Amino acid sequence: MPERKRTVPTTAERLGRILVVVPYLVKHPGTTLGEAARLFDVPASRLRRDLELVQMAGLPPYLPGDLIDVEIDDDDTVWVRMAEHFGRPLRLTRQEALAVRLRAAELLATPGVPEVVELASAVAKLDGALGESALVSAGGGEAPARLEAVRAAVEHRARVTIAYVDAAGDRSDRTVDPEAVFADMGSWYVVVWDTGAGGERLLRVDRILDLRETGENFTARGLRGAGRPLYTPGPRDVSVRLRLSANARWVTEYYATTRSEELGQGAVETTLLTGDLGQIARLLLRLGPDAEALDPPELPDLVRDLASRALAPYTRV
Amino acid sequence: MPVDDPIDPLERLLNLVGMLLETRQPLTFEEIAERMEGYGGDNRDSAKRKFERDKDTLREYGVPVELVDTDVWATEQGYVIRKEVYYAPEISFTPEEITALFVAAQSGTQAQGASAGVRKLLYGAEGGMLTGLGGSPLIAASDSSGERVGLAATAAEGHRRVRFGYRNARGEVADRDVDAHGVVFRGGHWYLVGLDRERDEIRAFRLSRCTSDPEDAGEGSAAPEGFHAAEHVQAGPWAASTAETALVAFAPGAGALALASFAGAQDVGPAADGRVFLRIPVADEDSAAGALLQYGPDAEVLEPASLRERMRARLEAIAGA
Repeated sequence: MPERKRTVPTTAERLGRILVVVPYLVKHPGTTLGEAARLFDVPASRLRRDLELVQMAGLPPYLPGDLIDVEIDDDDTVWVRMAEHFGRPLRLTRQEALAVRLRAAELLATPGVPEVVELASAVAKLDGALGESALVSAGGGEAPARLEAVRAAVEHRARVTIAYVDAAGDRSDRTVDPEAVFADMGSWYVVVWDTGAGGERLLRVDRILDLRETGENFTARGLRGAGRPLYTPGPRDVSVRLRLSANARWVTEYYATTRSEELGQGAVETTLLTGDLGQIARLLLRLGPDAEALDPPELPDLVRDLASRALAPYTRV
Repeated sequence: MPVDDPIDPLERLLNLVGMLLETRQPLTFEEIAERMEGYGGDNRDSAKRKFERDKDTLREYGVPVELVDTDVWATEQGYVIRKEVYYAPEISFTPEEITALFVAAQSGTQAQGASAGVRKLLYGAEGGMLTGLGGSPLIAASDSSGERVGLAATAAEGHRRVRFGYRNARGEVADRDVDAHGVVFRGGHWYLVGLDRERDEIRAFRLSRCTSDPEDAGEGSAAPEGFHAAEHVQAGPWAASTAETALVAFAPGAGALALASFAGAQDVGPAADGRVFLRIPVADEDSAAGALLQYGPDAEVLEPASLRERMRARLEAIAGA
């Protein structure tokens, strides 16, 4: 589980945990305190305190034989007896069941997750026990060829040499430290430290053509993975202003725009940042009459020039 | 019965849960106070208030404390926790399944309770060490809030009718009135699929395009026989299976990029001039032309002639402007 700030838990939080941990320990006798602490994301010392309290509780009339029997051996194995009433865990709340299924559905729809087979069977069991859920995953195409190798490199902190094609179609060989791999909006990304450039880069896994481990390992710098913005502003970024018709407004959903203003009838004026004006010119080639470049002023010429060069092979006789 | 309150609050709560689970008869507050420590003392009002707070705490954690008639004459009411409501159903999981659930629970759209829910399921883990519980999130949040997805799912599960504001892909905003049938995740987005009552058609609504949360509008209709929600959510034009293909020559780097971007693209070998030839499935020529135009001078369509002509016309319109 991701690290989070630990605060002193309230009585209610401790109760919520005990009602789940105790049944687990009843069902799995001889679990070590450390293993239980890891599974339930609680410091072992705190879990020990909770268990010490559990043995004070029981059923009426609360004579010694009515109390829950907790034993923590010298080797830290835990034994809980006399707790039939806590022998099964509390039912998942509606919210919890929904949250589990929602996240499972998202992962199931993401291509290239090796856990999908087990996840699918786990979800089927949940459906069988809790009733069919309305949440459905629709398969999302193929996984990038190098995904498995990238995930392995991330897991083993292995420095790798990759052949990479950037969005402009330029190919380069780089030696990188891959720190985190994640899917966002249906595409896979890897966050790397580019050793040649000496900087952090966000790469698309589907554009990695080749990957070789160098045999070296690296120390993670703690680069941020899932949830980071997909566009990292650079010092040489240019601000681009476009007027888009209803047909082209999808651009505002796929590019990180800084400002968008509705113009009526689905048209929108939008501003976005780019480190490569050439990429925006190519986008405008695609959008044709559905987009108008407002800023920077050189952009329309850039697009026209690009169109002439792209047109050349089609007009050859 | 002690006058003061020496018992730890947590111990009191655990005893209360145990008692209400095991009792054969619903228990009144006075009966509870008689049998266990913690609600004693002369000040009955304050003891009762403490009990009320405890009851709220239990309910907050999903403990179903119910107040029911103690006998058929309904002369008195008492508290009870029904075992069939309290206990989670028995579900056995392999260690691999639990691990997969953990991986799922720690990534994706913010949805409160995912990890807590999986921890309740740990109980059913059968043998073996559970590994892979650490690690960073594997997928980023979608563009919809977990709360909105939850509202949509609840509506679909209960066959409810919902109303919401919606901005379609063309930017037109309108109120929608929909019988919710299902909720689908595809390509990083969540969709509500249901019968659009005004259009009398099954439609898919991307939840991130809703201008308001779906609001319950009463009973809806059940999905038609053989309904599959996922079939109503469009895959991109490139995902459609199609017999039509285009032959395109790419500059080498652009070819690698295109191979990664177009689903089903096939490398059919290098050309003498160093370019690479790809065969790309084409479901719709107009969108194919759009996607290929984004490669600028790095892509040239060779076949079919109709697509080649389309490319030429669109480029000419821009170059000549």
